[in-house]
Order: sequence, then C-alpha cells, then structure tokens
Amino acid sequence: MTATAAPEAALGVLPRADGSAKYSHAGYTVTASVNGPIEAQRRDELASEAHVDVIVRPAAGVGGTRERHLEVILQSSLSQIILVKNFPRSLIQIVLQVEDSPENDYVNTKIVQASLNFAVMPALMQTAVLALLSAGVPMKATATATAVAIARVDGAKKITVDPSPRDIETAQSVHVLAFTSHDELLLAESEGDFTIGEWDEVYETAKGICCRPAAAAKEGMAMVLDDDDAGGTDMRQFLRSTMESKVAADLHWK
Amino acid sequence: MTTSTGPLVLPGEALDPSLIPSHPKHPLRLGPGLRHIPPSDIVPTVAGQLTTNSHKNSLWVEANSNRYIPQQNDPILATLLRTAPDSYLLTLSPHTAPASLPHLAFEGATKKTRPILSPGQLVYARVALANKHMDPELECVNPATGKADGLGPITGPGCAFDISLGFARRLLMARSREEGGVGVLEMLAGEEPGITGGGLSFETAVGRNGRVWVGSESAATVIVVGRALQETDRNGLGMEGQRRFVKKLLREMK
Repeated sequence: MTATAAPEAALGVLPRADGSAKYSHAGYTVTASVNGPIEAQRRDELASEAHVDVIVRPAAGVGGTRERHLEVILQSSLSQIILVKNFPRSLIQIVLQVEDSPENDYVNTKIVQASLNFAVMPALMQTAVLALLSAGVPMKATATATAVAIARVDGAKKITVDPSPRDIETAQSVHVLAFTSHDELLLAESEGDFTIGEWDEVYETAKGICCRPAAAAKEGMAMVLDDDDAGGTDMRQFLRSTMESKVAADLHWK
Repeated sequence: MTTSTGPLVLPGEALDPSLIPSHPKHPLRLGPGLRHIPPSDIVPTVAGQLTTNSHKNSLWVEANSNRYIPQQNDPILATLLRTAPDSYLLTLSPHTAPASLPHLAFEGATKKTRPILSPGQLVYARVALANKHMDPELECVNPATGKADGLGPITGPGCAFDISLGFARRLLMARSREEGGVGVLEMLAGEEPGITGGGLSFETAVGRNGRVWVGSESAATVIVVGRALQETDRNGLGMEGQRRFVKKLLREMK
C-alpha cells in the first residue's frame, strides 16, 4: 500500500535559524534548518561561490555511510538551484533531521540505528527546498522530487509512487527523481535492476507528479497516471500554496 | 499610492510582462529579490510578493527574512569586535565576516582626535561599500557634508533587541505608522489618545540588519519598549493587537 496522505508542511518552526521547515509526506517527517550565507571555515571556502553544506541526521543513532551518501547527492543537486555565485567565500548550511519514517508492517524492526534508504530522498529534498525558501536564500529555481518503485507482481509490471518500506523490499528497482521549476531533470538516482524502457516510464510518471502545469492539473493526472490508482499529489502546487500562506503571514501589515 | 502589489512569485518563475512598469523617462530599477539575465529576462530569486512603483519605475520582491546581506547606504547597528591598525572591525550579524569602520570615518575625526571605542560598543553606522567579493565597509559620517547625521557610537543606558529584517524595514519607513503598520512606539510615548500610562521617554536606533537599540534612563522603560517591538514582530500584531498589548504592558509596569 502506498501512503497516500497529502503532504504537509510548516515553515519557520525553528525561531533561531535563518530559515526552517517541517515537512511530512508518505510516512516520513523531516525538519530542516538553513543558515546562510555565513562565514565559511577556511577549508570549506570556495573563492568564487558559496559552499553548500548538507547534514543529514537519522531518526535514531548517529549518521553513517548511508547518510554521507545522501548528503553528497543532495549537496550537488541543491548547489545547482542556489545562486551560489552571489556569495563567494561563504557557507550555506542545511541541516536535515529525519524525525519519523514509515514502519514496515512485515518485519519487526528495532530502532537502534535507523537506516535511511532512497525513499527518504524526496522528503529530504522537499524539506531542504522549503527551508531555503523560508530563509530567503536567492535561488535560480525551486525543485520538486518524488520516489518511484517498480515491482513485478505475477509477471506484470507495477509502478508505485512514494513506495512504502514493504514496496521497496519487494521492488526490483527504486528510483528518485527531482525536477526544477523549469521542468529540467535535477536529480536521478536509481538502484536495482531495470531496463531503459522502464526508466523512461519512471521518468514520465515522476515528471507527471513533479512538473504538472497548474492549469492542466486534472487532465494530467488522469493521463499520466492511468495505470496507477494511487496517483500522487501535485508537488508544485503544494509548494506554491505553502509559500502563499507564509508570504501572506509575513506581509499581513500591507 | 504609486506602489501596487502583484502576485506571489517563486524563484525562477517567469514574470507576466504586464506587471513590469514602463515609464517614458526613468530607467527601470530592480530592487531586492530580482535578477536581470541579459538581454531581457527579469527573474525572481526569492519567494515573496512582487511589488511595483510606477512613479519611480521600479519593482522588487517584498519578503521577510532573518539573515542580513549588506547593501550600500543601509543604516545598521553593529557591535565592535576588535581594533585593527587603521580601522575598527564590527559584526553586523552572527557568524558573518566582520565589517570594517575606518578610524577616520567619524565626524571631525583626525589622526590625533578619533573616538576611542572598546570591544562590545554598539555603533550606528551606514554601509559605505557592499561588494560580494569584499567584506563590507562602514562609515559614521556623511562624506559629502562631513556631518554625522545621527550616526556614531551609541552612548547612554539602553539595550539592543533582535528583530526580523522585514520589521526593521517597516520601522525605518518615513511614515512607519501609515505605511508600515507599526504604532507601538507612538503608543508607548503617549502620542496616541486613549492609552493611559503612556508618555514614556526613550530613544531608538533601528538598524537594517535586524537590530534595534532602545535607550532610556529607566531600565523598565527599555524592557517594555523592547518587548513591545519584539512581540509585534514575532506575533504579527496588527494595529488593534498592538494597542491591546501596549495597554497590557503599561498596566503591568505600574
């Protein structure tokens, strides 16, 4: 089963940080803080652009190799959309704390060391973008992300959007894709066995969720996702409405 | 009113050409939150409300944030960190590179007679130079007239309070009550009819870097004014809310 709960977000949850966001979707809850541009340490300093520092903290225990891997992927994607050239020799620090991840009903898990996997990537990406918007860090574009799993059920191919831990366990391949607001592919990470044709299908499905044009939201959903009843939320519209309420609250005095 | 408010914009969104003002004589001026990509694209870089002024032929994105990015001619409230051979080093916001204030950038200062400041001293200054590749430079004197114009080291009993950048901008508006919707200072000073117990005597210095200094002989007055300002900022109080809060503060003061 896919967790079909609509995404939820709150901005400015941490009063001391320059920008912060709490986001929950598909069973994951992530809180992010953004500070920057601030002074970079000598070893991180880049002469012509800002250094984007991403720190991922798991729900329990300390981060390990998996978290470092996610950090590297997020760091390179976020540097693409932040206007890093505007702040040479400075640092933009993004801390992502995973608070909650969906439970696997089929396996008894002890949360001693919460292991992160690919399915948490969209939530991390989305939270980071919301926190950056909340901090007012200048950006080239916004981004939306989604995860897609392909499983074989009785020989038939089944594409699941926002897969649950059980879906990931049984899936042949899991893919994470992110798109900028200019409909450009920002991030594409895959694991498992898949063919080029399958990847193309995944790409189209993810694009339908991340890059739905505002006017054609209804038709697009029916067209692109007709083989998947679970559907997905219109991420771009979600981002917009979240920011709308934040800006309205900030400019209440006008 | 020559300023008009437009829709919400997100980073990287295309602007509707009809929203961009045109003027027969003045060149188009872009304010904060927008960037010009030659030859003819104007793209928002932060999320906020697009605001235009047809009289000045300018447009900018109105948004609130917490991290100050120095801009030339901004009045700021800085804290002295240390003294360098020919300048003072001051901090504008936490964890950012210090700004320099030359020893001779004070009214009537010469090599023999310059103000001797010690670390921790608050200075009200203007940003003389803001460049992304260099640390900002400050001055406490108008270079055209040689007069201080109210700038200089802050003396006398008082305390500095942190506020958001949007609130600092509202306080600095020429008519902050009508345009910015901030009336707490007038209410506390007893200039508003219907509020008993006002008539506090205090002075303020507002810095664009999100700091406000409140000075008064009475410590209670400093705390009350500072609290009123911070509360108005954080809770987004409207005129009526401010009036109620000021009444409550004044009642508690007795």
